Amino acid sequence: MTHQVCVLGAGAGFAGDRVDPAVVLARAGVDAVVLECLAERTLVPAIRARRDNPQAGYDPRLVRRLTPLLPVAREKGCRIVSNLGAANPVAAAERIARLARELGLPGLKVAAVVGDDVSDRAAQVRWVREPGAPLLGAHAYLGCHRLADALAQGADVVVTGRVADSALFSAVARDRLVPGEDALAGAIGVGHLLECGGQLTGGNYEPIAGAGLPPPLSAEQYASLGYPLARVMADGSAEIGLPPGAPGIVDALTCSLQLLYEVHDPSYYATPDLVVDFSGVRFETLGENRVRMSGVRSKGPPPTLKVAGFVDRPGFIMDCEIALAGAGARERAEVMAQALRLRLGDWADGDIAVDLVGAGSVLRAGSQPMQGPAPEMRVHVSARCSDGEQAQIIEDEVYAMTLSGPAGGCSVRSEKRPRIEVLDGFIEHQQVPTQLHWSQS
Amino acid sequence: MRVGDIAAGRAGDKGDTLDLSLVACDQAAYELLCKALTPERLQPLMNRIVPGPVMRYEVPGLRALKFVLPQALPGGVYASLHPGLHWQKAAIWLLLDLHVEDEGHTLLAPVDRQERRP
Repeated sequence: MTHQVCVLGAGAGFAGDRVDPAVVLARAGVDAVVLECLAERTLVPAIRARRDNPQAGYDPRLVRRLTPLLPVAREKGCRIVSNLGAANPVAAAERIARLARELGLPGLKVAAVVGDDVSDRAAQVRWVREPGAPLLGAHAYLGCHRLADALAQGADVVVTGRVADSALFSAVARDRLVPGEDALAGAIGVGHLLECGGQLTGGNYEPIAGAGLPPPLSAEQYASLGYPLARVMADGSAEIGLPPGAPGIVDALTCSLQLLYEVHDPSYYATPDLVVDFSGVRFETLGENRVRMSGVRSKGPPPTLKVAGFVDRPGFIMDCEIALAGAGARERAEVMAQALRLRLGDWADGDIAVDLVGAGSVLRAGSQPMQGPAPEMRVHVSARCSDGEQAQIIEDEVYAMTLSGPAGGCSVRSEKRPRIEVLDGFIEHQQVPTQLHWSQS
Repeated sequence: MRVGDIAAGRAGDKGDTLDLSLVACDQAAYELLCKALTPERLQPLMNRIVPGPVMRYEVPGLRALKFVLPQALPGGVYASLHPGLHWQKAAIWLLLDLHVEDEGHTLLAPVDRQERRP
């Protein structure tokens, strides 16, 4: 029987995720808390911020997220690994060291992993299609090795930009595993399973009714949901669970759903370090909220690294909506939607959508039928706009319905979104050298 | 029988690709879903809502089916003209709300909005 080599906790699954679950995990005694805070597109505002200020470009929530965590992590000897460095990991590391000084925590060693930004090598990237417009930035997905080196050299905190989410976890395990690709593949699988935090432990999950499963979580349980931890074994298998006393659901079903989440071919999941095969994974229930995961296999290193490029398209998507309430709200909303289509006839069909929120705006033709009259309804316009003036016209036309449309148009809200396109590409491993930059409190 | 009565599901996305996972509650449910939810049957239903082909992977060890729709989200989720951001997180109900029957033959049908509308 293989032995346990480390305990990993997933303290955040996206940039805006809750702050408190990471503190709960650190208090529970995990060896490392991972904070996954960098979705594909989260890099875009970071790149813009760094352009305006060379000291900016890391996650603006850094101080709020780490202020309650750093003292507990210090007390418990818990490492922190995070991609909240976004477009500027060095500035993030320096800010973390300064925060540690402000919190009275001297001697904290913070390593920044540098090298994911390949904007100056964009010509060497094989893009899946021509960018067709200037690139705002290009970042390669790094693997776990430079992060693991930083931990081996004594880093208390490792902060990165774009790395594979699973690598934030496998970096902690790398030096403790038995030799061989399958053990590292197992640790990558653990990372993939944990990277979305509460989505593994009962969040965004509805049990199958009548299948003898635990009931859905209550409001109180969702509000204090425990985030997952994994006891990783030397062979790369793991026991998945929750911090003691924390509410949540960890069973074969929640684990299976999260293992397959955003995976395409389950037998070929490409990560920067290894292509992993999930097709033989087994989840074995060990007890309440305790599941053993095993059977992840390696298919060898991938031929190239993935790159995410960002293309700035001019203009905006304008999102604008208006409410109707009282008897006949549905009928007045349908008339208003039709009137808006008439007013906004300059927009081509593919560049504008007018929906009734509350009557199939999300799933459209796949929606459930509406039962009975609606007490209120919202008419929603989304439109591609080539410039700010066009976006203003959309908002103005919706607003004008309050005076010149069916009775009772109210509660208008609108949002203007930039049009950024994400473009995938591939680059040779040797084109992406990495290094460490150290800061200390 | 509603798919969501015998399976749990989750939707994800990467770039233009929508991915939908179903995990069946037992072996009989898994076999029924394998028979009923073929890509050929699903594609016309899914194409009422999203464009492009439907691919399917089977993971029998987890009693799971994985559906991948590589052109379903043209330009990625941020280019969508659905109200607000991330409508695709609800897209799993496109599968969960389908009906499957298995009485000598297999059938697959969506809820019919017109028929059911009061």
